[in-house]
Amino acid sequence: MRHEETGAQGMSDVPSADDGFIEALTAFIADDVAQEEAPIDGATDLLLTGLVDSLGVVMIVIWIEAQLDITIDPGDVVLENFQTIDQMASYLRSR
Amino acid sequence: MTIVADSATFLPVTLPELVDPARIVSGGLRGDREAITDGTTSLTWQQYVDQIAQLAAALVNMGVCPGDRVAIRMPKSVASFVAVHAVLRSGAVMVPIDPLAPMAHAVAVLDDSGAKVLVAHARTRGLQNIVDSSSIATLVLPTASDPPTFEGSVRVVAQDEVASAMPVDAVEVGADEPAYVIYTSGSTGRPKGIVHTHASAMAYASTAAAEYGLTHDDRLANIAPLHFDQSTFELYAAAIAGAAVLVVPDPVMRFPASLSEMISEQRISVWYSVPYLLEQLSTRGALADRNLTALRWVLYGGEAFPPGQLATLMRQLPGATFSNVYGPAEVNQVTVHHLTEPPEGDSVPIGRPWTGATLRIVDPDDPGVVVSAGEPGVLWVSSPTMMSHYWNLPDLTDRAIVFERDTAGTEVRWYVTGDLVVERADGALVFLGRVDNQVKLRGHRIELEAVDVVLNDIAAVSEATAVVHRPSDADHELVALVVPADAASDTHADFEKVIIGTLRDRLPRAAVPNSVVVVKSLPRTGTGKIDRGASGRLFEAMEHES
Repeated sequence: MRHEETGAQGMSDVPSADDGFIEALTAFIADDVAQEEAPIDGATDLLLTGLVDSLGVVMIVIWIEAQLDITIDPGDVVLENFQTIDQMASYLRSR
Repeated sequence: MTIVADSATFLPVTLPELVDPARIVSGGLRGDREAITDGTTSLTWQQYVDQIAQLAAALVNMGVCPGDRVAIRMPKSVASFVAVHAVLRSGAVMVPIDPLAPMAHAVAVLDDSGAKVLVAHARTRGLQNIVDSSSIATLVLPTASDPPTFEGSVRVVAQDEVASAMPVDAVEVGADEPAYVIYTSGSTGRPKGIVHTHASAMAYASTAAAEYGLTHDDRLANIAPLHFDQSTFELYAAAIAGAAVLVVPDPVMRFPASLSEMISEQRISVWYSVPYLLEQLSTRGALADRNLTALRWVLYGGEAFPPGQLATLMRQLPGATFSNVYGPAEVNQVTVHHLTEPPEGDSVPIGRPWTGATLRIVDPDDPGVVVSAGEPGVLWVSSPTMMSHYWNLPDLTDRAIVFERDTAGTEVRWYVTGDLVVERADGALVFLGRVDNQVKLRGHRIELEAVDVVLNDIAAVSEATAVVHRPSDADHELVALVVPADAASDTHADFEKVIIGTLRDRLPRAAVPNSVVVVKSLPRTGTGKIDRGASGRLFEAMEHES
């Protein structure tokens, strides 16, 4: 189990959920998670369209945790936070 | 335990009778109580029965006749449940299609079943392509108030036309007539349709309702999609008992914490799914923060539940009885093992035959010989819950079903499951494996030969085979071992993408390998065939080294 880095602000090599990160997240979802090639932007519903299945959700959570060096509480992995990339961004910024 | 029976004069024997207005009159269904919800839409039994009759009338008005096949391709919702019962009520044979399966699979099912009418959701992907590539003549979009236009000659029947259909008398269907066809992937890659009659479906529904003591007060969670036979529990067994159903929408299913929240808020009392979803709920469902005290019975089936993970979940849900349910889609359910305490040991039995099922364990090398007690063998099943045949596949049906006469001269049909089992000293059966290359991953039945057929069709592939990787600490996954046609291909980053992309276009997604591993050659058997067992061991050895 990894623990949340409370001193992360002081470490310049730990990225935050900035625009560059969201761009990388979008590329990751489009290239490695999506079930088919499709244009994906911040507002694309990843779930109703079936682009992301349950394994895909797990992949996204693990990827975000590794990239940002955080632990996402399982109780936060809910529909409202992960339906679109915009929702993921606003969740990550609010936590 | 008994179910609340209708008045003695009205016992449904066909599926349309389950949701007939007469059952509201007789008290079998309580008209003012909630029958079904998906979290957004909710219907009372009166509204549910009315909507089913309305859509059925529309189908009859557009020329659907008893015995016609009508396909349904809709995301899980109240509307999809209404569609199933309406198709049955029209006298047609219901053919559910996975809305997330690739177009090629949907078209193959439509062609094989000969369905001319497709009930669909307007906004699902690929609908125009499916219409173009199949012989569908009528597209019914019951939830579309402003339907998109479709090219070609297909007739589109949208919400307003359904709503204005003239009522029709209930269509009479015989109990031994086909009710629905559920397709699985056949070993040649061609979909294989399992035909259940009204009688076999009703036998399952009534036995299940009695076995789990379903009543008007129960609320069942529908987890399985329509094309997966577990959904017959919520479609039909719930209706026999007058129990309410929560149809869990697909997006919610992908978020264990959202799912557990919905199960809690909806006060679900009975759950039935594959172990995978329960494992997700256990590890990521935030169960400690949820009130799931209404949940009295958790059924799982489709594959084995690792006992350690099952024990963990049982401690998280101390108020629930757990049951391991077994039965290939050809026979619905035939055995059950109830657990009141977390399991010990390294396997959970599939249990004993339930009411009405007769089992026989036969020598794998000599079908005429029943094995002695404690010896492993192939399971044969005789049960009123058994399919009538495989759709349009008489040879396969002949191989799967053995006819016998009992001492009284009555014909007995045995389904040869292809599952290897052994009977424990206490009478409970333990599942050992398959006699062929069928595997189960997250509850989906996958014929490895069908994956091989598609893999070997790809131009960039010289030869290939699919194997199952079974790590001890993670989910089992499907791996494609591939020898590239061009030896330099393995340096191309795109190689795996091409392979996976082709597989995704042609196979249901559960049958698409999680990864592609490039190898120089594949081991062969003495007869020159690719040796899947040795290939699997080769892969495990590669994994071990890396």
